[in-house]
Amino acid sequence: MNEYIGIAVAFFLAGGIAGTMVVLASIMGKKKPSAVKSEPFECGQAPFSLPGGKLAIRFYLIAILFILFDVELVFLYPWAVIYRELGMPGLVEMGIFLGILMVGYLYAWDNGALKWQ
Amino acid sequence: MNGPNMTDVVLLLPELILVGMALMLILGARRIQQSPWAMAGTVLAALAAAVASVWLVSWGDATKTGFGDAPMMIVDGYSQFFKVLIAIALALVALLSQRRIDAEQVRPAEYMALLLLASTGMMFSASALDLLTLYLGLELTTLCSYILVGITVQKKTSNEAAIKYFLLGSFASAILLYGIALAYGVTGTTNFEAIASAISENGLGSNKILLAAIGLLTAGLAFKIAAFPFHAWAPDAYQGASAPVAAFLAAASKAAGLAALGRVCLVAFAPQAHVLSVVLTGLAALSIIAGSIMAIAQTDMKRLLAYSSIAHVGYALLGFISATSAEASATMTDQGASATMTYSFLYVFMTLGAFGVVVALGERGERLDGYRGLATQRPGIAMLMLLFLLSLTGIPPTAGFVAKFVVILSVVRAGHTWLAVLAVVCSVVTAFVYLRVVVLMYMKEPEAPAPARFPLTVSAAIAVAALVTLIGGILPGILTHFTVGP
Repeated sequence: MNEYIGIAVAFFLAGGIAGTMVVLASIMGKKKPSAVKSEPFECGQAPFSLPGGKLAIRFYLIAILFILFDVELVFLYPWAVIYRELGMPGLVEMGIFLGILMVGYLYAWDNGALKWQ
Repeated sequence: MNGPNMTDVVLLLPELILVGMALMLILGARRIQQSPWAMAGTVLAALAAAVASVWLVSWGDATKTGFGDAPMMIVDGYSQFFKVLIAIALALVALLSQRRIDAEQVRPAEYMALLLLASTGMMFSASALDLLTLYLGLELTTLCSYILVGITVQKKTSNEAAIKYFLLGSFASAILLYGIALAYGVTGTTNFEAIASAISENGLGSNKILLAAIGLLTAGLAFKIAAFPFHAWAPDAYQGASAPVAAFLAAASKAAGLAALGRVCLVAFAPQAHVLSVVLTGLAALSIIAGSIMAIAQTDMKRLLAYSSIAHVGYALLGFISATSAEASATMTDQGASATMTYSFLYVFMTLGAFGVVVALGERGERLDGYRGLATQRPGIAMLMLLFLLSLTGIPPTAGFVAKFVVILSVVRAGHTWLAVLAVVCSVVTAFVYLRVVVLMYMKEPEAPAPARFPLTVSAAIAVAALVTLIGGILPGILTHFTVGP
């Protein structure tokens, strides 16, 4: 246990000195707030828009469609690994699965979800 | 590796019919502008699914299981009873919706496809013999329901309702899944029968984690059937949703949730029946009390019916309580399950009928005040509404009386006399709720102009509901042949 005491002392000293300085500075320091000082710091550049601005809803639509088909395709990998063992029935089953997935894709396409107007 | 067993696929016939029709509607969504076609397709598919469900249980052995050595699906009298019920409810809701979705500018093909897919999920959960199949079915149902609630995008209340329903529903699904995970962790399986044998063979009766799993599972399922204290979404969702959608949620999805809950309680956790009995007693008693009392203060008809549906689900649970009672024999378990099945069947028709009148009256039907003087303006429809309200109250000779009679009888047989007393007392409270509407219809002067003639589809759906409500009340014996427990 004794060998750790030095570390603990170092921690307390460092924390104490730093803490004291911060507290003293905030109590005793002079404060002159100005518009420039309260701007967010952006690598020296003048900030040109507020964070969290508007984003076109189309991004969400595309992202959702991507995730939808991406996640469905995860099923193809394990299927491909044991494809030989599954044989013909496996192919038919995957065909049905992809067919149903295609219906969803055709629906999205048909209704203009993929058009970027 | 076993190939696809064709009999397994045949067991899915009712679901396949519904999915096939839904896929066709989705493919043609942009081209199907005319709602009568979409509606006719949906009704036909629903009727075909009902016939297929009956055929499956009448062909060969009455009980068939499918998909693997630890089967994931079961086709028996219990599942097919609920499937027929869900299919008929789907057909009636499609009939009720047709004119309304045109008026609300909802595209018919997508709406009907969502109804079909939601019903498919319900059928799956009625047939599930595995916790994951059950979860899959319930998830399919609720995902479609979220969209159906919010499908009238222009209406702000509809959006709000959909968001509320979605948030609470996702939590409930997560809770259900957590329960499934814990159950799997303790028993090492997700198959219902294997869970039951694992519990009794390994003496897991007092396992704390198993108790937690049972609690989480019943909480998740109680959310789906909107039993108190997991009911908070129902009034908002029903109020914001289009009236036919609210009818669908109140009727079909409750029946499916009850079917799933029954199989979980009476098959998977049968060795833990004494625990479930306590949990279900709490849910039922609170639902009956809360639903009845909160319905009193409502001025919106759909909210009123939502609280009434919460109370009704409490009554429906009474059957399962007697089925899981400590000293229940096999026949009593069967009688209890059969009581809940009878209740769900009759409840679906009377609630669809009451919602049908709300749909038929349009804007006017949504407010309680809209019923003022309806009897002088349209005596026929006021008469039908009276029939449905009397049935919901439980007054003979309507179906509601038979339904309440069988569930209360079953709890008395199980020795829970206080629960029976509570049920009857709360029936009196709900009588006030329903008779208030009757008083408005028959004893007040009309304020609004007489409603227009109802479209034929809506009248047909209400007529079917009225017919079953009457026949169920006069000849309840017809039903008892089909109500066999899981």
